[in-house]
Amino acid sequence: MQNTTIGPLRLLSNTRLKSLALLGGLLLPMVVSVPNAVASEAREPAEVYRQICAHCHALDKAVGPEITMAFPETAHEAWGNYIRTTVRNGRGAMPSFREAKVSDEELDALIQALMYGEFADTAEEE
Amino acid sequence: MSTAPRILPKGVAEADFDTALGRFREILDADSVLTESDQLAPYTKIMMAGDDADYIPSGALLPTTAEQVQEIARTCNEFKVPIWTISTGKNLGYGSAAPGETGQVILDLHRMNRIINVNPDVCTALIEPGVTYQQLYDYIQEKGYKLWLDPPAPSAIAGPVGNTLDRGVGYTPYGEHFMFQCGMEVVLANGEMVRTGMGGIENSSSWQVFKWGYGPYIDGLFTQSNYGIVTKMGLWLMPEPPAYRPFLIQYQDPEDIEEIVEVLRPLRISQIIPNAVVIVHTLWDAGTHVVRKDYYDGTDSIPREAIERIKRDEGIGEWNVYAALYGTPEQIEVNWNIVEQAFSKSGKAKIMYGEEAEKRGGGFEYRSALMKGDMNLQEFGLYNWRGGGGSMWFAPVSQAKGSETKDQTALAQQILGKYGFDYVAEYIVGWRDMHHVIDLLYNRQDPDETQRAYDCFAELIDEFAKRGYGLYRTNTEFMEQVAGTFGEPLRNVHTALKNALDPNGILSPGKSGIRQ
Repeated sequence: MQNTTIGPLRLLSNTRLKSLALLGGLLLPMVVSVPNAVASEAREPAEVYRQICAHCHALDKAVGPEITMAFPETAHEAWGNYIRTTVRNGRGAMPSFREAKVSDEELDALIQALMYGEFADTAEEE
Repeated sequence: MSTAPRILPKGVAEADFDTALGRFREILDADSVLTESDQLAPYTKIMMAGDDADYIPSGALLPTTAEQVQEIARTCNEFKVPIWTISTGKNLGYGSAAPGETGQVILDLHRMNRIINVNPDVCTALIEPGVTYQQLYDYIQEKGYKLWLDPPAPSAIAGPVGNTLDRGVGYTPYGEHFMFQCGMEVVLANGEMVRTGMGGIENSSSWQVFKWGYGPYIDGLFTQSNYGIVTKMGLWLMPEPPAYRPFLIQYQDPEDIEEIVEVLRPLRISQIIPNAVVIVHTLWDAGTHVVRKDYYDGTDSIPREAIERIKRDEGIGEWNVYAALYGTPEQIEVNWNIVEQAFSKSGKAKIMYGEEAEKRGGGFEYRSALMKGDMNLQEFGLYNWRGGGGSMWFAPVSQAKGSETKDQTALAQQILGKYGFDYVAEYIVGWRDMHHVIDLLYNRQDPDETQRAYDCFAELIDEFAKRGYGLYRTNTEFMEQVAGTFGEPLRNVHTALKNALDPNGILSPGKSGIRQ
């Protein structure tokens, strides 16, 4: 019998996430499983993008608009606010994603990664 | 500081609500009790043609354990606080994550996302409500289990518990989700916990394999209902077959729907074709990747001439049947011959699979993914068809008979046409029934169009009911009206059950039209 008991997948600690973000190492495949999901645990931005965003925003899907192109630093604040507002409130066909689904920490890291074009290659491969 | 009046649960005094919130913060932690408007904003996004002001929660609670849910239920009973339960909250076009009415507190179970057990021998899973299809899919892939899921079209971001409890459907042979559910853990309104089926036996090893347990079978009471909060659910998983052949059959004449259903029914009932087949109309098949204004810019229903242009330009039929065969290569060859022979008889069908089907302009690629349980959200391309973020699924049930299909199609096209909307539809073929799923797409930014969509949906419900057709599921705006079409005797039983199990009416008041 191969019964198994597990917790949520691919969760990283805040400290680990921040250090990855600082190093620009957001696409590392490191995976850590923990038994329970609590608000302080966060997934890597690449994982959030793969699990949620890519299904509609990857270039070959074209259900939602392209979001993976890098933005000039002068526009980061405005673009970041736009993404945050759209994710939390939804916009037209885009559903809203609440804190229980994408935590504030995850969203902040995701926005950073998107603004720097971290997933541009991923989007093309998708 | 906001000057807007504070939203309270209906019939609850402000002081009592504050006391209840204090209790919730003791049960959970302060960060898991949301009351600020920016925190609650994601719970207000709806796609149906209701008034935004009718769907604003007074708070949201984010438990992580069933024990916390028990304590929440007890507190709600004490202070008569109504809660509206959601799991992943991606029931798009049916109400999403919004409450059933303004003032209800959202009980958001998304953080209860443990995969408790996957058994690759008997092909079962036991999961919590917050588990998404993507999460379960990833887990199965990582473990290397040869098991398939059966996601609905929102797949990756939705979850098996919420979809099954709303009696949703997918596209593999396990497409009728409630049929493949086995065992529940439920928190009742009084805070007591019950396990259904074999789950009441301590240390039972058969909770996820034998549905019926002993005595009255009650799992159905917790679907499309407000009699309890499901905190764990078992489901059956399909073993990956040795071979799989998705295929496409196209018909070009609107009248052909009758023949399709008549040919399909015996193949489906005898399980020659075992999966939840779809018969997709041109506008749905095109709408997942084509924008309406490329073919027609009018505000009335898209005319026949434009539909014919889409068919010609995009390589799409008037009716496009997506189905699949599963088994050994030998079994598939035998069944393929039967399918080919059955559909070839009239000479109207174009039957194809593999490269030939992939080259057609419809949704073969994403349909092939869904029919083998892969994650895919391509169907949300439909929301770009007309734009503006308005969507309501009108889904009457029929027998799998060509005459009924023809009747329903004509009635739907006539009513949609009256209000200037397009017939964007598909039939999902069960064993003997069909779900006629119509996406009423409209521009929700336009108040006049939204009002028309509302009136259209209401007329669809009434006119279909007059001909004996009822809906299998509906959005929160129309739950009361749809419940009315099923008659008072059934509603009286629903109410009696509600009064017995939830005498204070705290659980999802109004769900499926059920109240105290």
